[in-house]
Amino acid sequence: GKMEEGKAYSPDGVFAHLEMLEARAHEAAVKQEATEQQEEKLARLKARVQELRLQRDELRAKVDLQQKGQLGKEGVVSDLAQPSARAVLEWKIKNIKATLQIFYLTGISGKLTKRGVCFCISTAYEGTYLDSYYLDLLTKPEVQIHRHSVPIFIPLEQIAKKYLQTDIRRFLSVLSDHLNAYVGRRYQADQLQEHFSDQIEGPLQRNSLCNLLVFNYNVSSRSKTFPFNVRLLYGDPCGSLPTEVIVSCTPDAPASLAETAAAHSDLFRRVALHKAFRSFSGTEES
Amino acid sequence: MDDGTCQVYEDEIRLLEEEIKLLAEKYEDGQQESTSFSDEEILMSIKSFQREFQGESKGHESPSDLKAQLESLETDLSFLMKFTGIQFTNHSKKTVEKSKNRTVQKHRLSGNCHSLSFQLEFQLLEMQNKENVSAVITDLTIIMESGDDSDVRKFVSSTEEHGNLLTFFRSLSSYAEWYEHRRRTFLHFKVVY
Repeated sequence: GKMEEGKAYSPDGVFAHLEMLEARAHEAAVKQEATEQQEEKLARLKARVQELRLQRDELRAKVDLQQKGQLGKEGVVSDLAQPSARAVLEWKIKNIKATLQIFYLTGISGKLTKRGVCFCISTAYEGTYLDSYYLDLLTKPEVQIHRHSVPIFIPLEQIAKKYLQTDIRRFLSVLSDHLNAYVGRRYQADQLQEHFSDQIEGPLQRNSLCNLLVFNYNVSSRSKTFPFNVRLLYGDPCGSLPTEVIVSCTPDAPASLAETAAAHSDLFRRVALHKAFRSFSGTEES
Repeated sequence: MDDGTCQVYEDEIRLLEEEIKLLAEKYEDGQQESTSFSDEEILMSIKSFQREFQGESKGHESPSDLKAQLESLETDLSFLMKFTGIQFTNHSKKTVEKSKNRTVQKHRLSGNCHSLSFQLEFQLLEMQNKENVSAVITDLTIIMESGDDSDVRKFVSSTEEHGNLLTFFRSLSSYAEWYEHRRRTFLHFKVVY
């Protein structure tokens, strides 16, 4: 009957064919839309790039003019030709913030709080600023430490007991001495590990306070290397040079090295650790 | 490939946005550093700003916010100067280099600590690494009023050599206090005897 003849002519066949055509058209439409979207996106991105390039070029020109000190003459480029009151105040605020930042460089800075003061002690080794430590103090009914970020191996309580009530400046000064010394010792050990690891044999043993260092390092003599062992004790908590130095070499080392050990021992007492090692690199024994 | 082109554009957009941000900051720094307003101008601005406020657009801080911020900062600064004894009479800075992770500024600073006055110039290099910002002082020059004293001169030149700005200020405080104490003691004796 009609059902067995070519599918294309049966109602089912036509329907299937139509479905297929619809599907194809749909697919084509989706693809078309995707392509259009992609093109739109590209066009948008391209326009954005142009916009930003223009903005960047304008800013570059503005900065160049400013560098040459020509701003203000045209009035158009200079924002401060007729400074608004707001601009003046914002300038002053920035200006004071900059001065407050300078206080950070002096070692003691801080901010008044509702119940007292929050001090910031900054530390440095020569020109390199290192960690800062905070002390949140309450001033009523008496001066107390509310919160702080001082490491536990620094004798904060001892120092506070001695000075906090009677002389806050002295308290901060002494605390600053301890902190700067600790940070200075730590910096020297870090520098040693960072720059002279090839001369160090094995681990560099140190305690949290960095006032006890023990390690081995290589010394060459007549194309042979000998390990030296050094023990550095920093007896003064406010000092960054060791008070006790023991440099020893192995029993099989030549006698001449005993002199070297003594010279090194003396050097470590007088010169910062990483600087001492720097001087070794310059004067290697042959 | 369209995707590839998209990526190229997107990368360039990101770079341009970074560059624009940096240039805008440079420009603002330049404006800040080359301008100066007197205290009277500041006071006048505070007054006129409060009058002007009627027509201000949203999203900006109100005059009372700015005024409060200014007062709080001034109070902090005046407290620090009184507490440490260090008064800065003049401070100017100039940004000489600025990139994404690195800023170099030249500072000129003058002031006094009790009765000792000083003038400083230095370069401050700040570098942004993963966790924090590092600060290093270079090219430090110090001029001290009592520069005749040979001890002071030795101290100053060793401080300059190592860029020891922090040590300078810490020592300045104790030296100035001692100097002040000595001066007062001397005056006391002068009066008494």
